[in-house]
Amino acid sequence: MPYKKPSQKFGGKIREVTIGSGLKLGGESTLPFYSFDGDTGAKPAIGMEIWDIFPESWPQSLKNIFGEYAHDPVKWAKYCIEKSNPDFICIKLEGASPEGNNKSPEECAAVVKRLADEITLPLVIAGCDSDEKNASVFTKVAEAVPDKNYVFLSAVEANYKEVGAAAGMAYGNIVSAESSVDLNLAKQLNILITQLGVKPERMVMNPGCSAVGYGFEYVVTTMDRIRLAALDQNDVTLQMPIISPVSFETWKVKESAATENDMPEWGNQEARGIAMEVATAAGVLATGSNAVILRHPRSVEVIRNFIEELTA
Amino acid sequence: MARFLTIGERIHVISPVIRKALQERDPKPIIDRAREQVEAGAHYLDVNIGPADRDGEELMPWVVKLLQQEFPNTPLCLDTANTKALEAGIKVYDRKAGKPIINSADAGSRIGMIDLAAQYDAMVIGLCAKEGIPRDNDERIQYCTEILDRAMSAGLDPENILFDPLFVVVKGMQDKQQEVLEALRQITEMGFKTTGGLSNVSNGCPKELRGLIEATFCAMAIQCGLTSAIINPCNKMLMDIIKTADVIKGRNLYCDSYLEL
Repeated sequence: MPYKKPSQKFGGKIREVTIGSGLKLGGESTLPFYSFDGDTGAKPAIGMEIWDIFPESWPQSLKNIFGEYAHDPVKWAKYCIEKSNPDFICIKLEGASPEGNNKSPEECAAVVKRLADEITLPLVIAGCDSDEKNASVFTKVAEAVPDKNYVFLSAVEANYKEVGAAAGMAYGNIVSAESSVDLNLAKQLNILITQLGVKPERMVMNPGCSAVGYGFEYVVTTMDRIRLAALDQNDVTLQMPIISPVSFETWKVKESAATENDMPEWGNQEARGIAMEVATAAGVLATGSNAVILRHPRSVEVIRNFIEELTA
Repeated sequence: MARFLTIGERIHVISPVIRKALQERDPKPIIDRAREQVEAGAHYLDVNIGPADRDGEELMPWVVKLLQQEFPNTPLCLDTANTKALEAGIKVYDRKAGKPIINSADAGSRIGMIDLAAQYDAMVIGLCAKEGIPRDNDERIQYCTEILDRAMSAGLDPENILFDPLFVVVKGMQDKQQEVLEALRQITEMGFKTTGGLSNVSNGCPKELRGLIEATFCAMAIQCGLTSAIINPCNKMLMDIIKTADVIKGRNLYCDSYLEL
């Protein structure tokens, strides 16, 4: 009898969500990169993170690369596109932070509007560390860039009503539902946002991310269980593509942030930062992320190669 | 592991309203009954037209088309002893929402329904009975095996059979309840799917107790392996218990709103 290769078939399928004017995320009906078992959907996307203010807190190596452009988000975005050709740009509105520059929602909206006018790549719009401020910022920003299919990162339990209503319903953009590595809450938040009236095809999710070594196993098992519920149990409430803001996590941990003066035995700081970013991104992609956000051009190159090799 | 499958039982010729509607080909009462069950969360709808000796071949396709037109996402369970009526129903059945279920085959005069399921790639309820109620679990398992043998020779994958150990009434056959649960456990251990009619258990009991008896039996049966049941989906307590059991069995990921889905 000839050998018949077994394959694992699932009843569920991740919803395909289009961001911007044509970047597709999701659509897979099998585990990540399991092309031998089924349809792996759209190729995972890579975005690059920029800020609305100069990133003083970033390690010097990154400032050496972007410093010349980072006083203007449009120049910064264009430099990233020219140098690294990402699939999307993530503009983090760090300047909105009440603890920092406390920029008004209108100022933030103006920045995003300029970017929308100047670049054609899809935008992912991330907020600051205040859920309350993000609610008012996202409402204004969504209004300034209506019907763009931009992703708003994120709606959390504390502000999903405002963010969902503005980004997902009134102004034709996409809501990312964010929970902190808690699969029951991830499901609950998706349900609450859809009960609000946001269509599932206008949603992605971020079920939490961390840098490798910082509870990362928990991130991976959570994502794994979410994906298995979506595929194996055909749980429609969890069939949204996953976006992972890897760089938000990996560049602030000591392995990336400690200088060579502080930690001479740890070696080159820039190489450490890239290694943390690459290892984390590869990990979340292998467990189900449909998009990752990165900072360093070298990380983008390595992860793109990783994706190309595994989807070839 | 797949979630518990519910088959709504309320389109049944035994109900005077439905009997009249079937006879007169009056769509409204049938659609109303279907809608309340679909809205209550039934996965499949059972359509019992009785023996329909006179016009089954015409009646079954009529009711199948009627229901599928109105509820294209709800698959059907075709319930009659009339083989020709079943065949006619399956021929017009749209499989988009799921295979039809034939209700039912047994190890006696209705074993031919297994062949019918194989011929039309349908699912089938396999009643572990031959004549009347099986005496004990040796008989049940014997009939289960006979149905399996027939399925093997007909080329029907046992995945397509829902074995029904025949639930029995608590009022009068109280001493047999544990035996039925044990049969479920044995069939489950053999790796097969199971089902049963929950209203059998509460038959003849006061109305205010029926829902509770069915819900309790269902919870106990699920722990013994029961994978589906023919139920009244309008019994909210029963539906909530089924959803909760799916969570406890790990067949559905918990979230605070799980009952609302």
